Amino acid sequence: MTDITKEAIAPPRSFLSQDATQVFYRLLAALLICAVLAVLSDSFLSLGNILNVLRQASLTFFIASGLTLVVLTAGLDLSVGANVALSACIAGTVIHKTGSPALGILAGLACGGIVGLLNGVMVTALRIPSFIATYGMLWVLNGLTYWYMAGETLHGFPAGFRQIGSGYLFGLPIPVYLLLVFLGIGTLFAQRTIWGQEIYAIGANPVAARLSGIPVARRLLLVYAVSGTMAGLASIIFLSRLNSAEADIGESLTLPAIAAVLIGGTSLFGGVGTVFGTFIGALILTLVLNGMNLLSVSANWQPLVTGIIVILAVWLDMKTRRRTQ
Amino acid sequence: MRQQKLGYLTLPLLIAAAFTTQARADGETIAVFTKNQTNPFFQTVRVGADNMAKVLNAKTLQYIPTKPDSIPEQLSQIEDVVVKKPSAIVFTPVDYKAMVPGVEKINEAKIPVVNITDRSAGGKFVSFIGADDYSLGLETARHLLKTLGGKGNIVIIEGVKGSLTNVDRVRGFNDALKENAGAKLLASQPGNYQRLQALQVMENLMQSNAQIDGVLAANDAMAVGAIEALDGANRKAQVIGINGTKEAIDAIKSGKLLASGDYNGFAQGCLGTMMAIRALRDQPVINEIVLKPTVITKDNYQPFDVPLEQRSCPTFEEASKLGGK
Repeated sequence: MTDITKEAIAPPRSFLSQDATQVFYRLLAALLICAVLAVLSDSFLSLGNILNVLRQASLTFFIASGLTLVVLTAGLDLSVGANVALSACIAGTVIHKTGSPALGILAGLACGGIVGLLNGVMVTALRIPSFIATYGMLWVLNGLTYWYMAGETLHGFPAGFRQIGSGYLFGLPIPVYLLLVFLGIGTLFAQRTIWGQEIYAIGANPVAARLSGIPVARRLLLVYAVSGTMAGLASIIFLSRLNSAEADIGESLTLPAIAAVLIGGTSLFGGVGTVFGTFIGALILTLVLNGMNLLSVSANWQPLVTGIIVILAVWLDMKTRRRTQ
Repeated sequence: MRQQKLGYLTLPLLIAAAFTTQARADGETIAVFTKNQTNPFFQTVRVGADNMAKVLNAKTLQYIPTKPDSIPEQLSQIEDVVVKKPSAIVFTPVDYKAMVPGVEKINEAKIPVVNITDRSAGGKFVSFIGADDYSLGLETARHLLKTLGGKGNIVIIEGVKGSLTNVDRVRGFNDALKENAGAKLLASQPGNYQRLQALQVMENLMQSNAQIDGVLAANDAMAVGAIEALDGANRKAQVIGINGTKEAIDAIKSGKLLASGDYNGFAQGCLGTMMAIRALRDQPVINEIVLKPTVITKDNYQPFDVPLEQRSCPTFEEASKLGGK
């Protein structure tokens, strides 16, 4: 019994463990893509373009970072994109009505968090599989957002608020700072806290986790709430970067976020993966699109190439994982 | 069973009633089918249809797929409507080929139907009211090139690859470019009609192209996304969009957007409903109106800067002058 407890709460997870190997392979893949692009395009390695890629990857990363925790528990959150859309529309309305960006940011984060919490309640209290619960939530959110916006667009926000998404500090875009902060928090939380370890344990073996005294339901609730709140944060960045919100932004955000998590090496079966890997995943997706734009690859080929990269990444993952195990 | 008998009894009465209402010539119900709730364009179509119905003392019933552009959903909505038997139908197919069987069902049910926006590949219609994507692309691009003096470095941001609107608009862009030997097309990249994707594509293109003079975007959301990217990099280029959304009008007013091509959604809704009702009332109809494209610029934006609800529909006499290529 003590053995099970020990293993469930603290699986061997030093930074040089299996996860670290996975991250290493991904970093290698990202560097390989960079090397190829640097050869093919003169402008790729410019500082401007590197900051550009980091800023573009940040939005996907914010959504995908919270999602990583959900996937670590062997769950899935399909509502993240729709959540970003509703949160952005609500945050935008609050800013327009009150003139206060601070209130708008709070509203956006709260909306995202509440949606996440509701997902968590469906998964834990109602025992609905997360795939179905969050898929249902996707429709609910789409319906609410379409109804609320009625085909309109919100646009025009205060210059101060716009700084969050489009501004610079000491030469670096502000979203890049946020990216580094949340990458740090996410990694520390997952790797170095008891709660983080418990989340891995739940994903690895929920029965063992429950038997060893982990409050599974409460941790799951936390994980979905975090995923929702990160979608809320992404909505703020989105709003301030694009200076507008419309109802149909969700669809184009969900799948890249899920792809980033999977390319980053987090297993859909739970228990394996890192937030840092997800960052690399978001980076790889962004690099591919950036490269194709720089090289003026025909519009016809872009979805095809992206699709092949996703499939290749996950296939390589399965292969290397089998070898290390 | 009892209900059915009752149905047989009331049928002759209903037919008699139908004849008397036709004599009174109002109170008809027009079912209006549009593609989605997300594109502001279809909101203008619906408002136009409602407006005309009110003028002519008829009612509208709106049918919109909850999942944007869903073929199965529109098919099942057609099945519903055939059972409900509205007086007439104003129909935008979500897919011009896939919806042909649906149109045939409407034809079998002997409900008069007017085709608007996207020309259906088959079926019998009272009339067709639409705009021409090709000439919209051509005229907006011509306007941009005229402003640039017939020369400069141009990029195209395309909509969803393979969609009819995108194919025609981009063909128009390219033909306008061919007319100007001094213009150079740097890249034609996909933004999928999405603001964020267009912003990122523009950011990437600015990395590899030091001088961009003009941007041809296949819709307004992408045009505004491109403007945000240009602003963020402190660069200037002339940008055009298509659709004439409220946001685009505001951007034209403030000088950020050069022009937008008006797809005339409001007029399409008005005229589609007008022809449907005229057919019911045995009045002459116009079998085909392809609306001339209007390039909205800072010189002529005023009539478009009026809230939709306050615009008024063209009369039948005006309608006959609106068409013609």
